[in-house]
This record gives sequence, structure tokens and C-alpha cells, in this order.
Amino acid sequence: MASTSRGDALALPRVQCPNHPEAILVEDYRAGDMICPECGLVVGDRVIDVGSEWRTFSNEKALKDPSRVGDAQNPLLNGGDLTTMISKGTGAASFDEFGNSKYQNRRTMSSSDRAMLNAFKEITTMADRINLPRNIIDRTNNLFKQVYEQKSLKGRANDAIASACLYIACRQEGVPRTFKEICAVSRISKKEIGRCFKLILKALETSVDLITTGDFMSRFCSNLGLPKQVQMAATYIARKAVELDLVPGRSPISVAAAAIYMASQASAEKKTQKEIGDIAGVADVTIRQSYRLIYPRAAELFPPDFKFDTPVDKLPQL
Amino acid sequence: MDSSNDEALDIIITNVVATFRVRCHLNLRTIALEGNNVIYKPEVGKVLMKLRKPKITASIWSSGKIICTGATSEDDAKLGARRLARVLQKMGFRVRFSAFKVVNVLAVCSMPFAIHLIDFTKNNRPIASYEPELHPAATYRIKHIKATIQVFSTGSITLTGPNVQNVATAVEQVYPLLFECRKPLRK
Repeated sequence: MASTSRGDALALPRVQCPNHPEAILVEDYRAGDMICPECGLVVGDRVIDVGSEWRTFSNEKALKDPSRVGDAQNPLLNGGDLTTMISKGTGAASFDEFGNSKYQNRRTMSSSDRAMLNAFKEITTMADRINLPRNIIDRTNNLFKQVYEQKSLKGRANDAIASACLYIACRQEGVPRTFKEICAVSRISKKEIGRCFKLILKALETSVDLITTGDFMSRFCSNLGLPKQVQMAATYIARKAVELDLVPGRSPISVAAAAIYMASQASAEKKTQKEIGDIAGVADVTIRQSYRLIYPRAAELFPPDFKFDTPVDKLPQL
Repeated sequence: MDSSNDEALDIIITNVVATFRVRCHLNLRTIALEGNNVIYKPEVGKVLMKLRKPKITASIWSSGKIICTGATSEDDAKLGARRLARVLQKMGFRVRFSAFKVVNVLAVCSMPFAIHLIDFTKNNRPIASYEPELHPAATYRIKHIKATIQVFSTGSITLTGPNVQNVATAVEQVYPLLFECRKPLRK
């Protein structure tokens, strides 16, 4: 009895649903229950409720936030600070004579991470401007943290490293943004972002996939307001042009822009080179150059099921 | 690989950069006023002196350190450096030619075939890197001989390295890789 009681003590806490002893119980952490998935019976009861203490509504700008817990921790990115700060006092007793508040000076929390937190804020601001999803922002934050901890790029401006991390994150997620697009939301020059990009790749010893023309088609075409047919045609043209090697040494962005120009000129929605150049960030002379290279074989480049508004021989020749 | 071809590849050295010291403090104002073919840059603190033969441009600093660029061969660089020291000696400085070192050699070479850069980069990750948005060439760095090769899609390559020997070795090493990714001759 005495010897088996210890063994029993370990075996007992395994609660089971009385009707389905084999079923694995599902935990509902919000309510602190353990529920049987077969019949829905609430089997176990947990003492601690990890949900929030108070409900806060977004429209109420309550001066006092009754929550005693504070912000959600960001353990992956910060040093896991568990510091306590002294906030501004309320009520009359917190002010000494002359009207100064006692206990001024909220202790600076984790000064080593201050620069990193600043950078995260900057990253979120930049990503917000081009509507990037949360997963890219998270990836960027992780990259920045890795680079920052390595300290090999310590002398560079944090904003430059943040912009380069954003560029790399977009590439790694399979939705690359051009350097010019990142430039547009950052205060750093393209040259500096390019330099930091190469340095970060060397520091983290990673490499990124090469950009292709198709990565940018959907973004450029929707910004120009072109219908799906034209977008598909442009994607096909650009891919064919690269396969047939009509445009050696041209940046994929320029080839994509020229393909969009050709597709739009052959359809009902004609766009000028200037408009396309504006959206893609390429000069219109560059579009003209690439267009001249793909124009001679235009007939082969179009997809077979394309409906021409303007036939191939009537395409503008620049 | 090179020697198995019928045509030999011409490696043309376009630039040799060398540094040397003259072991004495130089008064840049004097050089700027009395010297022939000099450009004085007071905001940086150096004097540029251009020699006609061999065609060399030298940056002269007041500490006595001189950087010599524009030569077409290592011997030319040494000759030009000595000539430069002679010019400074004639101006009255007590020069002592020392610590001559070739720092960088830039060479160009042209392959008889065009190169498919995307294939080349894919085959040689991570040593090769290609960013079409930043630069139209793929960069290939050979770490153990400290040479950098820039490969263009037309088939021309530029090589930089610490001396001419390294550059020659680099061509030998990279030729088979480029040969794999060549574009078949058309038209």
C-alpha cells in the first residue's frame, strides 16, 4: 500500500472523460477547462485563468487602465526584461512642494535594447507604409536582432540596417520588393541599402533567391489598374522573353515593365511608358530600350489565347 | 583548361595600383607650386602628380606615403614610382625609396562566348552573387587567392587581385565554371 501510493499519486492526475476514457482531452486555456472532444464534457478544472482580468474597449480612452499586467511580453526579441518602472503619479500626494513630482525619472528600461526597440518601431512604420503583413515584419525583426547581436555592422546607421533587413525579409518570403520601393518608405539612399544588404548576407551567411519578372507582375499591374487578362499576358511575355534570351543583361524589373507596356498596348487598356515607369520605378528610356529588344519577336511572345485589341503589327514601334 | 583551347585567352592588365614611401616629410605647398603637372587638393591634404611616361597618376601625402595608379604592368609601376621619387628629389627633398608594394591589379578578359548569369549564379552559390538591380554583373570571390571576378553577360570579365600571378590563377580557376554556363552561339 505504502509503496504503491507514490505510484498512484503520479497516475491519479490523469483525468479522463468518464464516457470516453481513450480520448485525449483538449485544453481550453481561456476558461481553464479540459474538454473531451468526443462528447464535449468539461472534465477538468484548472485553478489559474490566464485570460485578461478586465475587458478594455478601444473607444474608451480610459486614463486609468485597470489591468495590472501590462503589455504582452516580446520574449523572442527583447532581452526578456522583467523590470518595473515607476509611472507618473496620480493624486495630490505624489507632488512635493514646488509642484515637482516625487519619484520623477522613470528608470530607463534595458538601455541596451533601446536602440533595438527604436529600430523595431521604425521597421513597423516602414512596413506599414507599403502594407506589409505581420509575418514579414516579424521576419524583419528577427533578422535585425540577429544582425544587431552579431555587432559586425555596428558602425552602420540602424535605419539602413533595418531597411536592408526589410528588403531581405520580403525576398525570403517570396514577395520581393524592389530597392526603389524600399527607398520610397525609408530615408536611406538606395546605395546605402544595397551596401548594407550585401554586408548582412555576408554576416548572416545566408543567400537569397534571384528575382524573377513574375514576382512583380501582380503588384505593378494592379497599381496600374490593368485587368487580369493583361496581367497574365504580360507575365507570359516577360517569361518568354527571358527564356528566349532576348534581353541579356537587363534587370528583371525593366523587362517586366517593357512586357507590361507591350501587353497593355495590345489590349484595350493602353498605358503610356511614363505611367508604367512611375509605378515600376524605371526610367521611361529604360522601358524603351527593353521594348526595342523584345519588339522584333512580339508575335511569339504573346500567349496563344490572347485577344488582341490592337494586332501585333500595329504595336507602337519606338 | 586554357591551354586546351585553340585560341588563348588574352588577359589585358588595365590598372596596377602600388604604394611606396619616401621616408621623409613632404611639403605639399612646395610641390604644388614648383612641380609640373600637379593638382593640389588642400581639403583632402594631398597632391596629385601625373607623369607622362609611364602614364601614371600619383597621390602624394605629406607624410611621405605615395599611392601610384594607372600603370599597365608591375614593372611599369615600379619604374614610375622611381621616376616620381626622382622628381621629388630634384625638388630638394631627401627622399629614400622604400616599401614599394603592388596593392591591386585590375585586368579584363573576354570570353569567346556569352554567359548565362542566372545559371552561373545558381551553380555557384554562395560564392557568386548577382543582384541585377544593383549591378549588371555577377561577382565571384575566390577567397584563398583573394581575387574578385565580375562576370558580365556579354562574356567579358574583369578581375581584381593583389598581383598579376593571382589574376592569372583566377582566370584558370573560373574558366571551367564559365564554360559550363555559356550560351550557345546563334545568329
